[in-house]
Amino acid sequence: MTRPYRAASRRRLTILDSPYVFVLPAVLLFGTFTLYPILRSLYLSFFDYNFLRPDQMHWIGLGNYREIVQDERVTGWPGLVLPKRLAWWQYPLYPLLVAWLTINSPGGAFWNTVRFTVMYVPLAVVIPLLFAVLVERAGRLSTLFRTLNFIPVVVSVAVVSIIWMWIYHPEYGVANTLLRQYAGIREGYTWLSDPKLAMPSVVAMCVWHGLGFNMLLFLVGLQRIPPELAEAARVDGATGWQALVRITIPLLRPTIFLVGLLVMIGALKVFGQMFIMTQGGPADSTLSMVLYLYNIAFRYGKFRFGYASALAWGLAVFIFVVSVISFRLSKERA
Amino acid sequence: MAATADRAKRYSGSALLFLALAAVSVLSLLPFLWVILSSLKSHEELYSKHLTFWPHQWTWDNYTQMFERMVGFGLYYRNSVLVSVGTVVLTLFVGSLAAYALSRFRFRGDRVLLLIFLGTMMVPGEVGLIGQYELLSAYRLLNTLTGLTLSYSAFSLALTIFIMHSVFTGVPQELLDAARVDGCSWWEGFWQIMVPMGASGLAAAGTLVFLNSWNEFIFALTMNNWSDEARTLPVGIQLLQGQWQHWDYGVLFSSVMLSFVPVIILFLLLQKYFMRGLTAGAVKG
Repeated sequence: MTRPYRAASRRRLTILDSPYVFVLPAVLLFGTFTLYPILRSLYLSFFDYNFLRPDQMHWIGLGNYREIVQDERVTGWPGLVLPKRLAWWQYPLYPLLVAWLTINSPGGAFWNTVRFTVMYVPLAVVIPLLFAVLVERAGRLSTLFRTLNFIPVVVSVAVVSIIWMWIYHPEYGVANTLLRQYAGIREGYTWLSDPKLAMPSVVAMCVWHGLGFNMLLFLVGLQRIPPELAEAARVDGATGWQALVRITIPLLRPTIFLVGLLVMIGALKVFGQMFIMTQGGPADSTLSMVLYLYNIAFRYGKFRFGYASALAWGLAVFIFVVSVISFRLSKERA
Repeated sequence: MAATADRAKRYSGSALLFLALAAVSVLSLLPFLWVILSSLKSHEELYSKHLTFWPHQWTWDNYTQMFERMVGFGLYYRNSVLVSVGTVVLTLFVGSLAAYALSRFRFRGDRVLLLIFLGTMMVPGEVGLIGQYELLSAYRLLNTLTGLTLSYSAFSLALTIFIMHSVFTGVPQELLDAARVDGCSWWEGFWQIMVPMGASGLAAAGTLVFLNSWNEFIFALTMNNWSDEARTLPVGIQLLQGQWQHWDYGVLFSSVMLSFVPVIILFLLLQKYFMRGLTAGAVKG
């Protein structure tokens, strides 16, 4: 039963069939609620603007950006005192020294965000990577392990933070109870209220939370690598470790870069964990950039929308610049 | 001899591998399991000096207490469901329609439009926070479910268009042309060809958008935090934690357990789409 072709049966096209009509709702929604707020924030960042007193709004040019640079709570130096003179054998240890001091010295919001990123990114790349390599070898069970470890990813930052606050609770928390029972520590640690411990505690939670997702990205990357390559190396006498380091990881470099970049961008925008677990404390040691801008706009009672917008745009520009630099570096290496 | 030794070695190797993987997986799940079990413990057991894993005595007390005394919890739940479902429906409809136009038609400004959509994905959403607060307040949309739904939809739009654009590009043009010859208008072609052909892509995008809006925190905290009427679950649960931590942990455990279990079940049921949507979403970075 073939239907004869009849040109007349073609439905007349109406105004509804224009591509402009198809994109119109998206343009309106996106323009109003995404593009406009972003540009409005940029505009506001050049004004001294208190939301409650719109009549007093006035142009101050780059004044807000100047304030960022001078604001102790943003750029306050973490008190790192680096040795001026080093013995020749100390030079190789210099990066380690800087990293160690960075981890241990709370500073302004900007430095705290950098501190968080420096601690979090390596852990959030290396641990899931190694775990993904192991999971891939598990054969039929790999799907099961992938699923199980993915479960934390679908649970919100808010819920996860609350659960971990209980884990870190100084008296009833699981962490201290276990330490008391099995490690013989009498008092236990005040995880979230010790200026030196608070940030690493938050980082540990984030690493746990992101494990499943980063592992999934690595598994997707691993599947693109033909298994024959590593097998051939093993036939030639390489150990599993050598095959991993010499074959798999170099081939996985694009994925490693992607995951590193994603994790880094996420880390620079960290907010919920700090807001819920520490409110930026103790003594501003976990105050992140986004938390500070939120506080400036909504918490400190002054509704300084101009300065908060400048902080947001400053952070966005910083993220963009860091992304471009790492992109360039990865291109040069490849 | 050598063969058996080799086999034994390989066997112990895979056992070790299995043990390591199992240990990490247990670590991933233990906090949740602990919350579930703790929510079923009695008040005395929760506050005793000795940590127990399994409840000595199973009790539903915390749950009945929670439903009686935490009035807001049900509201937060309802709000989260309404906002997330609303966002998914609105974003998928508006986004896939735009993706259809951008992938199938050439029109004035189509390249520029796609560039704007994709380019904005690189701007952190937090940048729009202040501007959006002002906007919603001007239109009296602060503290309303409509406002938050519009905000979430707009921010998920670029991602949806990005995913659906690549899905729709893969649909053969011949199908659409054949439908056109058979008398379909372009509008009907969207519903009868593109939507069914892109169904799994839509499902993946939909689960991603759902998860993002279900878990979103900073916008919900900023826009919808004046009263219980419009609070969503992440903000509400954080508020409850603040109010109840000095009173009763058992009640908190049960509320937290009720807030993560449905999402986990949903994930286990729709795993395929979750993973696909999330990996597609990640590439946007």
